[in-house]
Amino acid sequence: MSGNRRRQTTVGLVVNPAAGRDIRRLTGGASVSDNYAKRRTAECVLEGLTVVDDVHVLVMPDSTGLANKLVDDAPADLDVELLDTTVTASGRDTRQAAERFAERADAAVVLGGDGTNRDVAHGIGDVPVVSISTGTNNVVPTPVDGTVAGAAAALVGSGAVPVEESTYRHGMVEARVDGDEEKTVRGLATLGVLDRPFVGTRAILDPGDIVGGVVSRASSTEIGLSGIPGGLLTHRPDDPGGVGFRLGPPAESSRTVRAVTVPGVLSTVGVEDYRVLDDGEDFVFEMPRGVVSVDGERELAVREATIRVRPLADGPRMVRIEDVVERGAQEGWFRVDVGAVSPERSE
Amino acid sequence: MVAIDIESEEGQREALRRMLTIRAFDTKAGDLFGDGELPGFVHLYIGEEAVAVGACSALEEEDYITSTHRGHGHCIAKGLEPEQMMSELYGKRDGYCNGKGGSMHIADVDAGMLGANGIVGAGPPLATGAALTSHLRGEDTVALAFFGDGAVAQGQIHEAINIAATWKLPAIFLVENNQFGEGTPVEKQHNVQHLSETAEAYNIPGFTVDGMDVTAVFEAVREARKRALNGEGPTFIEADTYRYRGHFEGDQQPYRTKEDVAIWQDRDAIESFKQKLIDAGTITEAEFDEMESEIHDRIEQAAADAKEAPYPDPSEAYEDMFSATVPEINEFARQMRADGGERQ
Repeated sequence: MSGNRRRQTTVGLVVNPAAGRDIRRLTGGASVSDNYAKRRTAECVLEGLTVVDDVHVLVMPDSTGLANKLVDDAPADLDVELLDTTVTASGRDTRQAAERFAERADAAVVLGGDGTNRDVAHGIGDVPVVSISTGTNNVVPTPVDGTVAGAAAALVGSGAVPVEESTYRHGMVEARVDGDEEKTVRGLATLGVLDRPFVGTRAILDPGDIVGGVVSRASSTEIGLSGIPGGLLTHRPDDPGGVGFRLGPPAESSRTVRAVTVPGVLSTVGVEDYRVLDDGEDFVFEMPRGVVSVDGERELAVREATIRVRPLADGPRMVRIEDVVERGAQEGWFRVDVGAVSPERSE
Repeated sequence: MVAIDIESEEGQREALRRMLTIRAFDTKAGDLFGDGELPGFVHLYIGEEAVAVGACSALEEEDYITSTHRGHGHCIAKGLEPEQMMSELYGKRDGYCNGKGGSMHIADVDAGMLGANGIVGAGPPLATGAALTSHLRGEDTVALAFFGDGAVAQGQIHEAINIAATWKLPAIFLVENNQFGEGTPVEKQHNVQHLSETAEAYNIPGFTVDGMDVTAVFEAVREARKRALNGEGPTFIEADTYRYRGHFEGDQQPYRTKEDVAIWQDRDAIESFKQKLIDAGTITEAEFDEMESEIHDRIEQAAADAKEAPYPDPSEAYEDMFSATVPEINEFARQMRADGGERQ
């Protein structure tokens, strides 16, 4: 990127107004993220972006007017405009925005949960993504102050901190049902197979419904499916491959682990089988009736199905926020007493 | 046991049947009103069927609901008979309120249906009261209030939810957000994106579900019911839905276009659920057609019978009004019997 750096740094901003309002406010201890809080966080992001000069921000429009307010109230020294896309009030808005950012942005900032980040991952290409948590089962995004996250995006996007040294390639997971292309779903962190008759409220309400899954990352610090194999091994999001696992009744399974299946719920589950998978290696489930979940949400009902789930290597490029900001500080980007250093001067 | 177990194939067919019955009933009611057959006013539930059926399926038969001015769907979902409902719409003696209530006042306390209601926002206080009764009697029942997005801005809603939350009563507050309060879009009535955000003011869970998906509403209410019976208090659920017809029959609907309606009709709750059941092999296209035809015939017969049924006698005008003795009413009734109501 440093070879053909433009004078102006373009940063894309996605604020998903729909994230954080599902049934897990009832069935677990998920926090509430209202749109006022999201807008405040996004305003902090804009402020953080001013750590470098001459930043151009493209904001995804939405049906609630949240993006319009951001543009209207933006800091005077930032060039902030709405992205010119048609609002659909669905996940398509995020996917469209990501595709546009892939063409035009040097970095993207995403406020949403795992679902929002998955939508971004589908179209963002190689653009570095700074992901801030505002959703529910947040495995991928980081709970971080918006100002700090904005600074990270500016530092990476401008080239002040080299992209290669401050980002990692997140894995993906894919499920193919009966080899049917129309029944192929891709997730960022987790794909689950559940013994449920329908998609319904989308959330995974009862850990007893989980038949198994494949995750691109595993850790006991993570909420949802990735925390289950996380009780047995740690698999970083940039480690090659993923982990497949199959559950059974705790009393009859070879291993029993505890995992935070939803915020505030520590569940005990039996693990019949698990193994580390190479990228592209299938983990197969036969289901007379069930549902495939993607990143914590039920997505696809299946009947008499063979479900092949595998990890893939081609996920989004995620920014290590803390590393970037600390590196930026070491490079002098926060030291105003010796004069601001511009991206051009750092070359 | 839940009224209709939508997790079972049999329950799924019954849920589909109920939704079809609501649509057929209200389609007929609209036609009859247009023909000048029905007294009073009718507000049709067409488009919103998944909310009533999903919610009432997750309740048990002993549970209570309160309804709105748009109540036909709630009645059918709670198990009331279309025949008696149609008689009530016609103002006939064998209607649920002996013909004295009409469309906006159908009630059947024995079935747990505490009444449709002509006053916007008047149902939730009744539900809070029913939940208090259940709590004081130590019963394992809940009370669910259906109300609309317009009602969320009514003061009595605040009172009802506040006290239910504070006393941890077994209530469920279910907003049917059909996107318009009469002709006013929801975003011009409220300063929040999701009406479920208002739950935070009462420190109770609030969330939004797809009101065009009967399974989503079923699950949501089932979970809320569990919480209520665990003594944890009420839950606020917002179901996003849409009414296909005007606010009332005859509404010219200057506030929206046919294209706006078509966007929601593309996600029609009955059509999408039917397709899911066909795809899963739970019902065949032929079985669906037969079900639809049976329901159509039943509603046609109900309307024909109701048209021919007798009206209540004028001498009964003051009966069925109060359970307690009210001297003034008794005096009115005595005069009615004496002079046929000439001096009233």
